[in-house]
Amino acid sequence: MSGLILLAILAPVVGAFILPPVGKLSRRLRDLLALALVLVAFICSASLLPSALAGEPAYLQVVLPLGMSFGFLADGLAIFMAMISSFIGGIIVLYSISYLDNSEHTHEYYLMVTLFLGAMMGLVYSTNILFIYIFWEISAISCWRLIGFYREPDNILRADKAFLTTVFGAFVMLIGFLLIYSQTGTFDLMEMQGVSISNATVLLILVGIFSKSATLPLHTWLPDAGVAPAPVTSLLHAAVLVKIGVYAYARLFLFGFAIPEVWSTVVPVIAAISALVAAGAAMRANDLKRIIAYSTVSQIGFIFLGLATGNPLSAAGGLLYILMHGLAKGGLFLCAGIVEHNAHTKDIRELGGLIKTMPITAVSFLVCGLSVMGLPPLGGFFSKFMVISGSVTAEHPWIAAVFIVGTLMTIIYLMRAFCAVFLGTPKLGIVVREGSKTMVASVLGLAALSLVAGLLIFYPSLFVQEIVAQIGWLGL
Amino acid sequence: MSDSILILPILLPLVGSLLVFVTPSQNRILRSAFALLFSGAALVTTIITFGKQLSFSTASWAGFGMDFQLKLDGLSGFIMVVAGFTFLALLYSVAFMQGRERERQFFGFVLLGSAFVTGSMLANNLVLMLFFWEGLLAVLFALIMSGGAKATPTATKALVISVTADFCLILGVGVVFWQSGSLNMSVINLPLDNFWNGFAYVMMMIGAVARAGAMPFHTWIPDAAVDAPLPFMAFLPAALDKLAGIYLLARLNLQLFQMLPGSGLSLTVMTLGCCTIIFAVLMALIQKDYKRLLSYHAISQVGYMILGIGTALPIGIVGGLFHMVNHALYKSCLFYSAGAVERQAGTTDLSQLGGLGRKMPVTFICFLLAAAAISGVPPLNGFFSKELVFDAALQINVVFYIVAALGAFFTMASFLKLAHVAWFGKMTQVAQKAKEAPWPMLVPLVVLAFFCVLFGVYNPLPLHGLVEPTLGSALTHSFAGLPHNWLVAGISVAVLLLAVANHYYGVKRSGSALGSSDHIHYAPVLKPVLAAAEAGKTDPYNLAGAVMDVFALVLATIDKAIDWFYMKLVTGIAAALGRGLENAHTEKPWHYVLWVLVGGVAVTVLFFVGIGG
Repeated sequence: MSGLILLAILAPVVGAFILPPVGKLSRRLRDLLALALVLVAFICSASLLPSALAGEPAYLQVVLPLGMSFGFLADGLAIFMAMISSFIGGIIVLYSISYLDNSEHTHEYYLMVTLFLGAMMGLVYSTNILFIYIFWEISAISCWRLIGFYREPDNILRADKAFLTTVFGAFVMLIGFLLIYSQTGTFDLMEMQGVSISNATVLLILVGIFSKSATLPLHTWLPDAGVAPAPVTSLLHAAVLVKIGVYAYARLFLFGFAIPEVWSTVVPVIAAISALVAAGAAMRANDLKRIIAYSTVSQIGFIFLGLATGNPLSAAGGLLYILMHGLAKGGLFLCAGIVEHNAHTKDIRELGGLIKTMPITAVSFLVCGLSVMGLPPLGGFFSKFMVISGSVTAEHPWIAAVFIVGTLMTIIYLMRAFCAVFLGTPKLGIVVREGSKTMVASVLGLAALSLVAGLLIFYPSLFVQEIVAQIGWLGL
Repeated sequence: MSDSILILPILLPLVGSLLVFVTPSQNRILRSAFALLFSGAALVTTIITFGKQLSFSTASWAGFGMDFQLKLDGLSGFIMVVAGFTFLALLYSVAFMQGRERERQFFGFVLLGSAFVTGSMLANNLVLMLFFWEGLLAVLFALIMSGGAKATPTATKALVISVTADFCLILGVGVVFWQSGSLNMSVINLPLDNFWNGFAYVMMMIGAVARAGAMPFHTWIPDAAVDAPLPFMAFLPAALDKLAGIYLLARLNLQLFQMLPGSGLSLTVMTLGCCTIIFAVLMALIQKDYKRLLSYHAISQVGYMILGIGTALPIGIVGGLFHMVNHALYKSCLFYSAGAVERQAGTTDLSQLGGLGRKMPVTFICFLLAAAAISGVPPLNGFFSKELVFDAALQINVVFYIVAALGAFFTMASFLKLAHVAWFGKMTQVAQKAKEAPWPMLVPLVVLAFFCVLFGVYNPLPLHGLVEPTLGSALTHSFAGLPHNWLVAGISVAVLLLAVANHYYGVKRSGSALGSSDHIHYAPVLKPVLAAAEAGKTDPYNLAGAVMDVFALVLATIDKAIDWFYMKLVTGIAAALGRGLENAHTEKPWHYVLWVLVGGVAVTVLFFVGIGG
C-alpha cells in the first residue's frame, strides 16, 4: 500500500522531466502524458482512501539519526488534499491543451505544471518538516516560471514579486522549523504530536503560511499574478499554491503541535481583516482576473477562520471550504480564461453581453460564482455556513458578523463582474465565440461538480467529519 | 400513508422544472403541459396530506446535527396554499408569457421556486430550512431576469437586498445553534432573556420580514413591478414571499423563541409593522402606474401581518396569518388583473387608461371584489383579518391601532382612485381596442376572487381549517364569525366612509379622478418627503450602496498601501543598501585595509564580550 504513496509523488515529480523530450517527438503525446501523470497521482491517492478511513493509514518511514527520520503518511487529511489538488489539476491540464495550442514554451509549461502538482503531493504526504520545506520551495520555483510564462518584462517583474514574497515567507518559516528542532531534537512530525511550541515559533511559521496562502499583509503578489495564462492562475488559486498554506496550517497546528490559546483569536482577526480588505479591493478592481484573485484572498480568510477557531464544526467547514472553493474558483478562472482568450481583453468595462455568444461559459461562471458566494443548493453554502456557525459556537460571534459583511461584499463584486461581462449589450466590435470543446467541458465540469457537491453534501461532509474526528484535542 | 410522501411536494415541482428546462424551446405545448401537470400533482399531494401530522428524516445529511428532517404540522400546512398559487401562476403564464423571449426560463424557475419555498416551510431543521430558503435567491434573480436585459439592475438589486437579509438569518441560526445546542426546530425554544438570544431573534426576524417585503428591505419590489414579467409579481412578492416570510415569523414567535406580549422585542416588531403600513401606503397613493401602485400595497399589507404576529397574542397571530392568506388571494388577483390590462390594453400607465370596465367585464368584477377585499370592505375576507389585527394592536397600545386604521384609510383611498381611473370613467383611446382576456388568464382571476368572497362570508372555513390549528394549545377560543369587538368594527366602517368622502373631495378639487390624491400628495409636509422617496433618495439600497463604495475605497486604499510597501519601500531600501555597499568598493587599496582593520576590531570586541557574557 505504501508504495502507492511513492508512486503518487514520484510519478509527477520524475515524470515531469521526461515531458520536454517527449514533446520533441509529439506535442499531443506530451499533453496526454502530462494528464496521465496527474491522473496517476489522483488514482493512487484515491486508492489509499479506504485504508485511511478504516483507521489504518498507509505509512512509509525511513529511520535516520539526529531526528532526520522522514516518512510519508496517507491519512485522511493528506488524501483529501491530494485528491482535490490532483483532480482539479487534471481538469486544468485538460483545459490547457487547447488554451496553449499556439503558445511558446509549452514544454516548460507542462514540465512545471506537473512538477508543481508533484511537489504538492510530496508536501501533503510528508511527515518531516524539512521535506515539507523542500517541496514548498519546489512549488515556489514552478510558480515563478509559470507566472512569467509570457516573458513580457511586466510578467517577469510580477513573477519575481511572487517568488520573493513566498520565498521570504518560507525562509522565515524555516527559522521557525529550526527553533522546533532545537526544542525537540527532531524534524519528524510523527514525534511531535501535541508538543507545545512558543508564540514566537508560531509567528515565524505563520509568516510562511500567510505568504503562501496570500493573506494580509503578504497577499499582494497574488492579484498581480493574474498576468499568467488562465490555467496557471486557476492552478495557483484553486488547486495548489494557496492551498499549501492552509494545508500546512491544518497539518502543523491542528494535527501537530499544541499552540497557545491566543492564536484561536489572533488568526481569525487577521483572517477577518484580510477578507474585508481583499473584498474591498475586489469591488474597486476592473480587471476580471484581479477581481477573482482578490476574491481568493478574501475566501482564504474564511478557511483560516474555520481552521483556527478550535471548534469541530468550523474546522470541518474550513476543510470543506478547501474543496468547494477549489472547484468553484478553478471554474471561475477557467471561465475568465475563455473570455480573455476569445475577447482579447479582461477589462470588465470593455466587455458585455457575452451570454449570447458563450452561454455555457456564462452559466458555468454564474454557477461557480454562486458557489463562492455561498448560496444553496451549491456546495459553497455548506462550507460557509459551517465556518460561520462554528465560529459563533467558538464564542466569536462578532468575528462571524464581520465575515457576514465579507460575504455580502463577495456577492456584490461577483455579481458586478458577472453582469458587466455577460449581461448588458456587447461593447466589443468583434463577435466573441465560445471556447473550444475541451475548455468548455472543463468549466462545465467544475460548475456541475460545484452543484453535485452541494446536492450530495452527505459524502464530502462525511469525509471531512472523519478527518476532524482524527484531531484528538477537538473533543469530537 | 408513508411519511415519505412529504418529499413529493418538493420533488414534483423540481422534476417538473428539470423537464421544462430540457424541453426544446420551441415546444411550448409540451412545456406548458409539464408545468401544469407537475404543479397540479404537487397541489394534489398537499391536499391529500393536509391536516395530518407527518415527519420524515433521513439517517444523515451534512453531519453535526444538520439533518434532513421534514415535518408537516399546522403551520407548515400552508404549503397547500403555496402549491395552489404556483398552479394558478403557471396557468396564467401559459397565456401571458406566450410569445415572450424568456418563457422557458420563467416556467422552469417558477417551478423551482415553488419547490424551494415548499421545502423551507416543511423543513424541521434550521440548516435544511436555510438551504431551501436561500435557494430561492438564485430563482429570484433568474425570474426577474426573465423580464429581459433591462431588468439586470433590478435583478441585482433584488438579489443584494435579499442576500443581506438572508445572511442576517444565517448569523441568527448560528447564534441559535450556539445557544440551544440544536438545529432541530422541534426542540428549540429559547427564552428571550439574554443578549444573544435577543440578537438571534432580531437576526432571524430580519430574514423573515425581509422575505415578506417589509421596510427597509422592500425597495426592489416596485422596480420589479416594472421590469419583471407580471406573473412574477403575483407569484413571488404577492404570494410566495409573503407566505414564506410570515410563516417564518410565526414560527419564531410561536415556537423557536418564547415571545411575550408587550416585551421590548414585541414592540419593536410591531413598530416595524406600523412603519411599513403607513410609509408604503402613502407611496402607493401617489403612484400613477397600475403595477407600481399595487406593488406598494404588497409592501404596505405585509405591515398588518407583521403587526399582528408581532403582538404575540393569539388573536394577533391568527389575524396575521389569516391576513397573509387573504393578501395572497386578493393581491395575486389584483396583479393578474393588471396583467390582463397590460396584455389587452398594452399599457398600465393610469393616465392612458379609463373605462375598461365595459370592455373587460369579467376581469373588472374580479378586480372590484379583490380591491374591496384589500380595502377591508365587509363582508369580504380582508375585513375580517384586518379586524383581528386591529383588535390585537389595540390590546397592546392605542397608538399602533391608530396607525393601522390610518393605513386602512389610505388603502381605501388609493383603490378608489385606481378603480375610478382605470375601470370607470370615460373610455380612452387605449381602452377602445381592449378585449376580454383569454380563459387561462381569467380562470385564476375568477378562482381568486371567489375565494376572497368565500373566506369572508364563510370565514370559519379558513380559520378553523387552516389558521387556528397552527396555535395548538395556545388557542383558547375561536375567532371565526363576526368581529368580536363591535367598536373597532364600527370605526373601520367609518374610516372606509371617510375615505369615500375624501375621494369625492379630491376629485372635485383636482377636477380628475387621477388627481384624487393630489391634496395629500402635495400637502405641506408630505410633498418634499414623498418627492424624495419617489426619486429614490431615501432608498436604503442607494444609501447603503454609497456607504459601501466609500468603504470599498478605504479598503482598496489599504491594499494599495500594502502593495506600495513592497513595490516601493522594500525595493527602495534594498536598492539603497546595494548602492551604499557599492560605494564602499572604491578600488583604493588603503580603503580596503581600513575595512579589514575595522572588521578585525569588531570581531575581537564581540569575541571578548561573548566570553565575558
